[in-house]
Amino acid sequence: MVPYVAVAITAVILSLVPLWIGDSRTLTGVAVSGLLFACYATAFNLIFGSTDQLFLAVGALAGVGAYTSAITSDRLSLPLPLTIILGMIVAMIISGLFSWIAVRRSLGIIFTGIVTLTFSLAFDNLLLGQRSLTGGETGMVIDAGKGAFFRGQIPPYYVFLTLLIGFLLAYVAIHRSRMGWAFRALRDDQLSAELSGVNVAKYRIYAGAIGGAMLGLSGALWAHVEGFISPATFTFVHVDVQVLVMLVFGGIGTLLGPVVGSAFFTYLGEVLASFSQLRLIVEGVLLIVLFLALPQGVVGAIVIGITRLRERRKGLP
Amino acid sequence: MAVLELVELEKHFGGLPAVDGVTFGFNDGEILAIVGPNGAGKSTLLKTIIGIHPATSGTIRFSGTDITKMSTHRIRKAGIAMVLQTPRIFGSLTVRENVVIGAMFGNPKGVSESDAYEEADEMLAVVGLSSKADLAIDKLNLHEQRYVDLARAIAGRPKLLLLDEVMAGLNDTETASSIELIRRLRDRHGVTVIWVEHVMKAVLSLAERIAVLDFGRLLTSGDPQVVMRDPKVVKAYLGGKALPDA
Amino acid sequence: MTAAILDGLVLGLQFGLLGVGLTIVYGMGGVLNLAYGAMAVASAIVVSVAMRSGLPAVPAVALGILTGAALSLLLNVTIMRPVYRRRGDQRVLLSILLTIGVAFIINGYLVWKLPIEALSLSIGGDAISILGVPMRVGSLLASAITILAGVGLILFFRRTTAGKAVRSVIQDEVGARLCGINPASVRMLIFTLSGAIAGLVAVTRSMTSPVPVSEGFSLTILALLVTVVGGLGSVKGAMLAGLILGVVNALSSFYIGSYITTIVLLVAAALTILLRPSGLFGEYT
Repeated sequence: MVPYVAVAITAVILSLVPLWIGDSRTLTGVAVSGLLFACYATAFNLIFGSTDQLFLAVGALAGVGAYTSAITSDRLSLPLPLTIILGMIVAMIISGLFSWIAVRRSLGIIFTGIVTLTFSLAFDNLLLGQRSLTGGETGMVIDAGKGAFFRGQIPPYYVFLTLLIGFLLAYVAIHRSRMGWAFRALRDDQLSAELSGVNVAKYRIYAGAIGGAMLGLSGALWAHVEGFISPATFTFVHVDVQVLVMLVFGGIGTLLGPVVGSAFFTYLGEVLASFSQLRLIVEGVLLIVLFLALPQGVVGAIVIGITRLRERRKGLP
Repeated sequence: MAVLELVELEKHFGGLPAVDGVTFGFNDGEILAIVGPNGAGKSTLLKTIIGIHPATSGTIRFSGTDITKMSTHRIRKAGIAMVLQTPRIFGSLTVRENVVIGAMFGNPKGVSESDAYEEADEMLAVVGLSSKADLAIDKLNLHEQRYVDLARAIAGRPKLLLLDEVMAGLNDTETASSIELIRRLRDRHGVTVIWVEHVMKAVLSLAERIAVLDFGRLLTSGDPQVVMRDPKVVKAYLGGKALPDA
Repeated sequence: MTAAILDGLVLGLQFGLLGVGLTIVYGMGGVLNLAYGAMAVASAIVVSVAMRSGLPAVPAVALGILTGAALSLLLNVTIMRPVYRRRGDQRVLLSILLTIGVAFIINGYLVWKLPIEALSLSIGGDAISILGVPMRVGSLLASAITILAGVGLILFFRRTTAGKAVRSVIQDEVGARLCGINPASVRMLIFTLSGAIAGLVAVTRSMTSPVPVSEGFSLTILALLVTVVGGLGSVKGAMLAGLILGVVNALSSFYIGSYITTIVLLVAAALTILLRPSGLFGEYT
């Protein structure tokens, strides 16, 4: 029950944030982007945190979802919900394919990272090059989302909060299921997992596909809520580096690590916004100090602390 | 009847044969020890059977089914489990949870979580570790960790158990207890045991049949007392020196 | 066609040396330095600033290379220490995360203080005809320096005691330790060398195209691709992979043009990794 309670508390706290930031459009925009990154980080956590697959294509997969949905809705005039599902499915298939390749070629963490990184860079170039379809670097304005229930009637903040809570609940459900047992086993020791009857390849591909679907869905929703996308929104530097940093800061493989990490770095970015030049330096210093001080991340360190306290109370060593 | 049959089984590493044309039948319900000098290919043979190393050529048949090309997890579900020499336990899980994994995934039928917990507790009772079920796995010593590994292997009730030098590094009491446990597993649960071992005392007190491997080839097999006196074996195995306790 | 191939070779030599600097660090300590490109850019900017304040080109370049070496040495004696205490994947991962932080700091500082600075060394003189193709003196000089550096490195690894010590540590850390070689000091040497190479590549690159402050990240990515295609840890492999990728780059921009070039390059890199995960040369040095 503990994880569900944690998600519920997170939902309550995050739903109160708009009261705190008030009517400021800039701050609301920052908060919405923070939620989007929390969604990305949760998906990435499922892929990397649960099954050790370093996918450096988080932004690109979200971009696949966004552009698929944007192009099919605006250029082909397909119904909006269908295009969002389409964006999700295409990202899911590509991501699942990454896992399949990584499993088949038994690529380790580094090689999986580099193959997916080349995809990110190639995808970015493709978006820039296919001007007639994507608008190139100037980006594309998407009209299909106008009048949709999630644009205008519900503030974007709550659209993405709902999405994030959905992802967190899915994360908990997955980890409490048979798949969660398989994840724990294969992360600890791949060979032992196989020897215990766990189909390691299958569960890696599941994690890749589910995480990819989450990313595609986030990207597609973002495209229609914002009404505008450009390649810069999904680049490796803007998304993947940030997401990796957020997740490691919050705690890899923990439920709330992605949320804590993205909240912290979003807040930090806002505090440092007026000294934007200093931002990179401060983030760099923080990264180094925090990784060295808290290798398990903030949430990881808290969980370990609680476990120790409990053990002490029980009188265990 | 042979529960496991190897036909002309070969496993090469970069052209060098580690298992070199082994043809052999393992009987249902027996405890068979594979012995041989270091580097004779004993561990490799077990790992080839369970699919960790894919066979270079030849056939492996288990209960009549060809399992040569199956992946390890499928072979496990089909009824063969293995315990490695160094216990490879899941470090972040408790003792019980380690066994739950085996119970949940090692069974050909899908097992629910609650059934898996029940099965895990039963298996922990078999190896005598019920009292330590809730401990973190790293709180256990080598002997106990091997027993957890064993409990995880027998969860899901495999028909055949492959053991790779599971007595290495144990003291006399622990060895005796391991011998007793393996015999009990066979007697009560009808498991066939194929067991690679260096500890000769244990082999001679437990094995019903011995197969001797040398340079990846099957040298001979048969009754332990007879095989260990075979001059061919003495020569290959110990370079002509006398055998201990034989 | 010939022109495209020659251009590709000029570019490829730079790619190759860039890769060598990154690959030796991986071969040595099993770590990736993602601040590598940022360090190269820092060296280039030092050269540029030094020359603007009146220093002649040669000492300015020397100062730049020293900067790269010093930055790298600093990295090795500070934040790389905890990294070496880890093993395997954990080690690589921590090195990636920490050096991303270092790259942030270097980039952030340069963008803050010198946002529009760029190094562009223009080498005068008329174009020289090679195989009927007029080549700019800058390209030829850059290539000559790169080849010299490459040959020098290979000689260093094969002939000198220090170089042999490096090779022995790469092959067998424990064995090397038994022979009285201290892996930590060899690592320090290699790290410093890697920084100097980064500085050198930044300088030679600026002879053919400007190196702006923002270039750091793409240099790192490029070095990473070359390294992986060549086989992590292989000096020969990195040089060859650099040449191949350089020629692929030039040919595809000649025949197909525009943005497809980068995609071709990336696909070529990805395919090499998938078909030969150990790279062109799977073994070290």
